[in-house]
Amino acid sequence: MPWLRLAWRDLRSSKARFLFVVLAVAVGVGSLTGVRSFSRAFRAMLLTNARTLMAADMTVRIFGRPTPPQEAVLRELEARGVRRTQVTETVTMAATPGSQPLLVTLKAVDPAIYPFYGEVKLEPEGQLRTVLNDGTAVVSEDLLLRLGARTGGAIRLGGQDFRIAAVLAAEPDRLTGTLNVGPRVMITHGGLDRTGLISLGSRASERFLFRLPPRGPGVEEVRRIFKRAFPESTIADYRETHPIITRALDRSTTFLSLVSLIALVVGALGVGTAIDAHLRQKMDTIAILKCLGARSSQVLRIYVVQTLILGVAGGLAGVAVGAAVTRAFPVLLSRILPAAPALGWDPLPAIQGLIIGVAATLLFTVPPLLGVRGIRPNIIFRREMAETAPRRRWGASLVSGAAIVAGIGVIAAWLVEGDARLALRMGAYFAGGLALALLALAGIARLLLAGLKSLVRHVRLPVTLRHGVANLYRPGTHSTAVLVALGVGVMFTLTVFLLQRSLVDQIAGSAPPGMPNVFLLDIPAADRQGLAALAARQAGVERPLEVSTSVSMKIESVNGVAVEQLPLQQFGRRFLRTRPVTWMAQKPAELVVLQGAWWDAARPAPEPQVSVQEEAARILGVKPGSTLAWNAWGRKVQSRVAAVHRSEAVRTTARFEFIFSPGALEGMPAVYFGSMRVRPRDVGALQRALYDRFPTVTVVNVADVLEIIQQVVDQVAVVYRFLSLFIILAGAVILASSVAGTRFRRVREVAILKALGATRRRVAGVFSVEFLLLGAVAGLMGGLLATGFTAALLKGLLDAPFRLDPLPAAAAVVLTALLANAAGWVASWRILGRKPLEVLRD
Amino acid sequence: MIRVHNLTKVIQTGTHRVEILKGIDLEVARGEVVAVVGPSGSGKSTLLGLLAGLDTPTSGSIVLDGQEIAGMDEDTLAVLRGRKIGVVFQSYHLIPTLTAEENVMLPAELAGNGDGIRDRARDLLDRVGLKERRDHYPVQLSGGEQQRVALARAFMARPPILLADEPTGNLDSANGRMVLDSLLALNQREGTTLVLVTHDAELTRHARRTIAMRDGRIVPGHEGG
Repeated sequence: MPWLRLAWRDLRSSKARFLFVVLAVAVGVGSLTGVRSFSRAFRAMLLTNARTLMAADMTVRIFGRPTPPQEAVLRELEARGVRRTQVTETVTMAATPGSQPLLVTLKAVDPAIYPFYGEVKLEPEGQLRTVLNDGTAVVSEDLLLRLGARTGGAIRLGGQDFRIAAVLAAEPDRLTGTLNVGPRVMITHGGLDRTGLISLGSRASERFLFRLPPRGPGVEEVRRIFKRAFPESTIADYRETHPIITRALDRSTTFLSLVSLIALVVGALGVGTAIDAHLRQKMDTIAILKCLGARSSQVLRIYVVQTLILGVAGGLAGVAVGAAVTRAFPVLLSRILPAAPALGWDPLPAIQGLIIGVAATLLFTVPPLLGVRGIRPNIIFRREMAETAPRRRWGASLVSGAAIVAGIGVIAAWLVEGDARLALRMGAYFAGGLALALLALAGIARLLLAGLKSLVRHVRLPVTLRHGVANLYRPGTHSTAVLVALGVGVMFTLTVFLLQRSLVDQIAGSAPPGMPNVFLLDIPAADRQGLAALAARQAGVERPLEVSTSVSMKIESVNGVAVEQLPLQQFGRRFLRTRPVTWMAQKPAELVVLQGAWWDAARPAPEPQVSVQEEAARILGVKPGSTLAWNAWGRKVQSRVAAVHRSEAVRTTARFEFIFSPGALEGMPAVYFGSMRVRPRDVGALQRALYDRFPTVTVVNVADVLEIIQQVVDQVAVVYRFLSLFIILAGAVILASSVAGTRFRRVREVAILKALGATRRRVAGVFSVEFLLLGAVAGLMGGLLATGFTAALLKGLLDAPFRLDPLPAAAAVVLTALLANAAGWVASWRILGRKPLEVLRD
Repeated sequence: MIRVHNLTKVIQTGTHRVEILKGIDLEVARGEVVAVVGPSGSGKSTLLGLLAGLDTPTSGSIVLDGQEIAGMDEDTLAVLRGRKIGVVFQSYHLIPTLTAEENVMLPAELAGNGDGIRDRARDLLDRVGLKERRDHYPVQLSGGEQQRVALARAFMARPPILLADEPTGNLDSANGRMVLDSLLALNQREGTTLVLVTHDAELTRHARRTIAMRDGRIVPGHEGG
C-alpha cells in the first residue's frame, strides 16, 4: 500500500494540527454514540423490566369508567383465570388543618392485589396491604415537607380525613402511569369513593392491570379481545416496551441525535478547513509530485487516505468519549429515571457513530480535495512568499456543496427513529435547515470581517489592535469557518436557554392581562351556582368565574366513513380517542365563524348541530353540511356540521374543537370546569375559601402550572444544554485547529515582530486581540441569531410573547470571547518562546 | 559603537555538539561600514544574529552603544532593537497582511512613536523608489521591491546600527544593484553604523573594512579596509 505509506508520512509532519482535527470529530461522534447508547440501554432496561414497570403482564388505559359492554368483557376474562386490578389516577387538592391546599396526584389501588409485579417501597418499611385501608393514605416525602405534615398525622382529601400511614418511596409503575403532577398520594378505591372525587365523566385515568394465568388465554388472544373491546385505549403488554414511553423515547432519541449531529457537522467543518489549510501548505509537494509524473488521481488518493485515517481516528476516539457521555445521562436525568439502565459497551451505536463520523469527515473534505486537481506543477517555479489557494471552479463548488447537504440529509434520516417517510422528511428538513443556518452564519461572518477590514484601513487603531484585527483576514486563517462553527454552538445553546427561560418566565410573570390565572377542575353540577357566588365574593377578582361544560365523546364516523378508516397522521390521531366537547346557545364573542352559520337558539334544528374548529375541520375533511356520528358512554349521537370556527382568544379554557347546539348532549355525564382572574396576592385566600366549602374541586393556579412545566422543561433543557456544549466544544477545537494550521505563519511573524522590537507582551496582545475578537464576533452572531430564532419560535410556533433581553446575548459574547481566547492560546502558546534567529534563518 | 569580546555560540543537537562561533573579538566604530565575508557555514549570519540580539550567545560579551546585551532577557532585547538596531534579512521577511507603507511604519509604531511616522515612511519609500507602490501588499511586489521595502523599514526608527544579512543574496544583479544603491544612500544620509554579511564583491568594495570568517573564527590578517 504505497499510498497509505505516503499518506501516513505526510500526516506525521502536521501532527499538532491533526490532533485537533481528530478531537473535533471525536466530540461529535462521542455525543452521538453517547445519546444512542443510552437510548438503547434505556430501551433494553424497559424491555427487561417491562412487567415490573407496568406492575402487570398487560395494561389497558382508558379515560373515564368502562362502559357496561366493556365490564362484561372484563368479567368474562376474569372467569377464565385472568386476574385484574384497577388503578385510578386523578389530580386533586390535599391539605392538612390550617395549611394551604396543595395540588397532588391521587392514585387509588387495591392493596390486596396491587402490584402484580415489582414492589411498593414504603418508609418505614412495611407491606402496602397491611398499612393501606380505606382510612389511610401513603404519601410521597415532598408532600410531608410542603404541608408540614408527618407520618401518623392526618391529610384531607375531598373533604375526608386520611391518616398518613407511611411515606411512599417507590412505586413500580410510576413511569407507565398517566399523571405526574405535584406530590403523590396513594389510597384505596374505597377511600377514593369516600372522597366523592370521581363521578361519571370525571377526567380521571383508569388503568386495568392484568396478570395472565400460566395455563389459559395467552397474551395474544387477550390482546385481541381488548383491542376489540377498548378500541380507543392504549394497550401494552410485557413483550414490548410500553408504547407511551417508547414514543417519548423515540422522539427524544431522534432530537438528541440530531443535536449531536450538529456537533459532528461542526467538527467535520473543522476537518474540511484543516485539510484545506494542509493542502495549501502542501502545494509545493503536490506540484513536485506532479512534476515527477504523479497523476491528479494518484495525488488525490494520498489525501483521501489521509482524510480516512483522520475520520477513523476521530471516530474511534469519539466512541471512547461516547462511553463517558452515556454515563452522564443517568446523572442528568436522575429525577425522572425509574431505574438505572445497565450501561455496558454497545457495539451497534459505536459502529454507527464510526461510520457517520467517517462519512461526515469525507463529505466536508470534498471541496478542498477537488482543488488538488487544479494545482499546476509549474507553481514551484513562480510561487512568491504568500500562499496562494488552489484554484477552485464554481461548478465543482456547487456540486460538492450539494453533495454535502444531501449526505448530511441521508445521515440525519438514518438517525431518525420511526418509519421511512418520517425519516426522509426529517432528514430533508434537518439538512435544509442546517444548510440555511450555516450559509446565514457564513454570510454574516463575511460581512463582519469585511467591516473590520475596512475599519483597520480607515481608522488609526493602536498597533496591537490593528495587528490583531489584521490576523482575522490574513490568508489561510479560515476565520469564516471558525466563526460559523463557534456561532452555531452559541446559537444553539442560547436558543435552548432563552426558550426555556421565556416559557417559564411567561407563566411565572402571571398570565397575560385579561387571561385567567386560576383554573377550577371537576366542579360538581350541583355546586356550580354556589361556587360562582362564593368566587364572586372573594377579594381581588379581576375577571369573574366562567364555567365551561365538557362531555367526553368519541367520533365514530365522518360522512359515513368510520374514523379508523381516515388517513389520520400524528396529532390528527387524537380523533381516534374520546375528545372533550361542549355546547353553547350563543356564539361567544371571541369565536369567528369562517364557514356556514351559527345556529339560532330560538329555532332548534331537527338534528343536533355542531361547529367545528378550523384545524379539526381540515384534518377530518368536514365542512358545513357534513355529518359526524358520535358515541358517548354507549349512546349514539348523529350531528350535522353547521359551522367551521376559529377562536381568536389565546389559551382560554374553553378552546373546544367541537361545540354542539343546545339540547344535543342533554343527560350526558358532563364535567364542569371554570377559569377566572384574581390578583396574584389574593389567589391563596381564594384557594382556601373554595377548598373549605368545595373540597372536591381542584383549584390550579398559575404557580402550580409553572412548577409542573418548569420541572419538565428543566429536565429536558439540561440534556439539551449538555449536548449543545458539545457543539461549542467542537467549535473551540476547530478554532484551536485553525490556529494550529497557521502555526508556520505565526512563528515567522512573531519572529519578525520581535526582530523589529516587539516585546512578548505586545505579541501576546496581538494574538489575544485576534482570539477575543473571533470569539466575540461568533458570540455576537450566535446571540443575534438565537434571539431572532427564539422570537420566531415563541411567536410563530408557541404563540407566546417575546421580550428582548440583551443580557444573555451579552453574556454569550463575553463567554465565547474568553473560550476562544483560551482555545487559541492552547494552540499557540509555545510560539511565543521561540528565538527569532532560528526561525528567520530557516 | 559595537564591541564584541570572546564570543562563542554552541548548539547541542541530540548527541552532537556544534561550535558555531569560537571566540570572536571585534570592534566597529560609529559610522563605520563593515563587511563580513566567508564561506557558507563559517558563522557569519550567527554573528550578525547575536549582534542583533535575535539569539543569545553561549559565552562572551557584546556591547552595543555602551550597553552590554549578552545577559539581557528577550523582551529587553526587543525594546533595544526597536530603538537601536535595524535588521535587513536575505529573505525580506515582510508581513504579508500589511501594505508596503504599513510594513515600513511598523518599527516606529512598536516603539510607540506616533507623530509624523506616515510622512517618514513615505519619504523612505520615496527614497528607495517605491513611492507609487506604497499601498501594495508584499505578494504584489517583486523580490527586489520587497527588499527595498525591508530597507526602508530597517531605517524607519532611525537606528544608530544597521545589520544586514546577505541583503542582495536573493536578487539578480540588476535588482541587487538597486538595493545596494538604496542601502548606501540611506546609510550615508542617516549616518548609521553598518555591518553587512555578504558574498557580493560589489558590496564588499563599498565597505571601509572587511572581516573574513572561517570555521567560527575571524581569519587573522584578513581584517582591513
